[in-house]
Amino acid sequence: MNAITATGLTKRYGQKAAVSDATFEIEQGEIVGFLGPNGAGKTTTLRMLAGLVRPSSGTCTVLGDTVPGDSLREVGTMIEEPSFYPYMTGRSNLRHAARLHGDVSEARVVEVLEFVRLQDAADKKVRAYSQGMRQRLALARALLWRPKVLLLDEPTNGLDPAGIAEVRESLRHVARDGTTVLVSSHILAEIEKLVDRILAIEAGNIVFDGPLRELVARAAEQNVTYTISSRDREALVAALVELGYAPQVLGAGEVEVSLPAEDAEFLIERLTAKGVRVVSASMEEDDLEDAYLRLIDPSRRPS
Amino acid sequence: MSSVFDVVRAETFKALRKRRVYVLAALYWVLLPALALLVGRLIYVNTRGTFVEEGVPLADLMQSLFSSHGLATIALTGPAYASPTPYIIAVALMAALFIGEERGQNMWKTVLVVQPSRSAVLTGKLIVTMGTLLVLMLGAFLTAILFGTIGTAFVPTNLSGDWGGLLGLYLWQWAHLLAPVLLAFLLIFLVRSAVLGIVVVLIAPGLLEGIYSVLNTLFSLQPVTRFNAVFQALRLQRVWEELPRFFFTTNLYAPGRSPASGLANEFISEFEQGDLGPFSQLLGSGLTLGHSSMVMAGYALLFGLLLFWVFRRRDVD
Repeated sequence: MNAITATGLTKRYGQKAAVSDATFEIEQGEIVGFLGPNGAGKTTTLRMLAGLVRPSSGTCTVLGDTVPGDSLREVGTMIEEPSFYPYMTGRSNLRHAARLHGDVSEARVVEVLEFVRLQDAADKKVRAYSQGMRQRLALARALLWRPKVLLLDEPTNGLDPAGIAEVRESLRHVARDGTTVLVSSHILAEIEKLVDRILAIEAGNIVFDGPLRELVARAAEQNVTYTISSRDREALVAALVELGYAPQVLGAGEVEVSLPAEDAEFLIERLTAKGVRVVSASMEEDDLEDAYLRLIDPSRRPS
Repeated sequence: MSSVFDVVRAETFKALRKRRVYVLAALYWVLLPALALLVGRLIYVNTRGTFVEEGVPLADLMQSLFSSHGLATIALTGPAYASPTPYIIAVALMAALFIGEERGQNMWKTVLVVQPSRSAVLTGKLIVTMGTLLVLMLGAFLTAILFGTIGTAFVPTNLSGDWGGLLGLYLWQWAHLLAPVLLAFLLIFLVRSAVLGIVVVLIAPGLLEGIYSVLNTLFSLQPVTRFNAVFQALRLQRVWEELPRFFFTTNLYAPGRSPASGLANEFISEFEQGDLGPFSQLLGSGLTLGHSSMVMAGYALLFGLLLFWVFRRRDVD
């Protein structure tokens, strides 16, 4: 049984589609990175999965139940900026959530506080918490009833590098116990060390759904970046434009150009044929970040 | 059902950590009977043995107003005559605490993912709101007995009175508060702002009834105006005249105000009800408690259906 299934999931606000016909499946125990720039539709999709927003069309199921349904009790979430009752302590906020959900013991409250390393600050009012502490408390709340599915929206927002590493380690730990995790981010580097699979969304459309290694392979196959220098930079730029590329001038006679991997070996030959005298050239394969950026920005895709 | 119980436990936990609940309780349980008792003592000291005593039976007045039973009656009736009434202020504050705060602190998405059953969340919050109001009212009833007992030391009163009847009126008035609670929840949820919701709750019912009074003056103008000519042609005059019997505030406070007509009859019995002029409206205008309860049940049903429908359907952002 899939942990999460979305079928033709669409959400419109007036004429604008925030999410359009999103279809994907996530198996139990998978850790999936949900990538996309700000405003791409990640949060709206997560809200629909959490039963907070009704889809305009399409359906989603969590643990086999159509959302909204009883299975939402098995879901832990952190959606957008974490919010708490500021006049309560961190511990009281968790106790409130424990009562609200039911079936959560006081021992579990203590356990999750220790898990996110907030036991020393647990009795401070939440209004005195830093952004990082609030993020960790929100993660503790999401884990309180040992959910089978975790929906996390930018869980490392506002955290310092040490905090990001801590959250990453915590999520790995949770995932080892078989919890399905769908974690969104607009920064690939933040989650590439955590997830096995990437779901990328851009302007409400799912533009990539596959294993992380496929994205890596696509990056290696698809594009390379050349840095070329010539004494006649204008002629170099004009020749590259003529060849159908979009060169970027770097200064000191250097130009950078991104092109499909299969064109790479012929580039210098073609430039020479056009009378450009190349002084030096170096080639770099695109990294994962570049591959991801090309996914979400058509202008960066190879022609 | 267990989800509702979970919400009740959580909201009770929250209410116990909110200072405004204790402030309201202190004002209602301590300040009101203490002030009333002080006034009673001043009246007694300043009028005993004077000519006033010849016109007004002072001992009866003290017993009616400043005994334990009298103070408990004041605690029920007094708030029904202020404007805006402490009842509606308490309702608005409770609604702000139990439903407005989720908006103010951006907590809706948290609450509804922790407890995904929206019906359970709403039902639980309504139960705790009504429960808190009941505790406030019964607390006032009990502290009035306590202060009245203390008062027997310096005003000529005793503990006698129709306690069962009075307690019944307390519970009746509490039941009538369900409609404004539902209205407050609905407005705060609809306008997406606790502050604006509270303001609307405080002024809307009175405002609508005020508009009625203005229009009533217009329609009653002689000679016949275009307004009332159309009105009378449509045979709506009778319906229009009957409208005040169904006003929200008139019926809402009927149980709380009912002891006032008893007191009025006791001390100014030589007047007919009709001779009381505008006061007759305040004393109930002949509305029975049964009629008022039916009207309030109608309002509660209307607001409740709207509230549950909106709450279950609306997207949470």
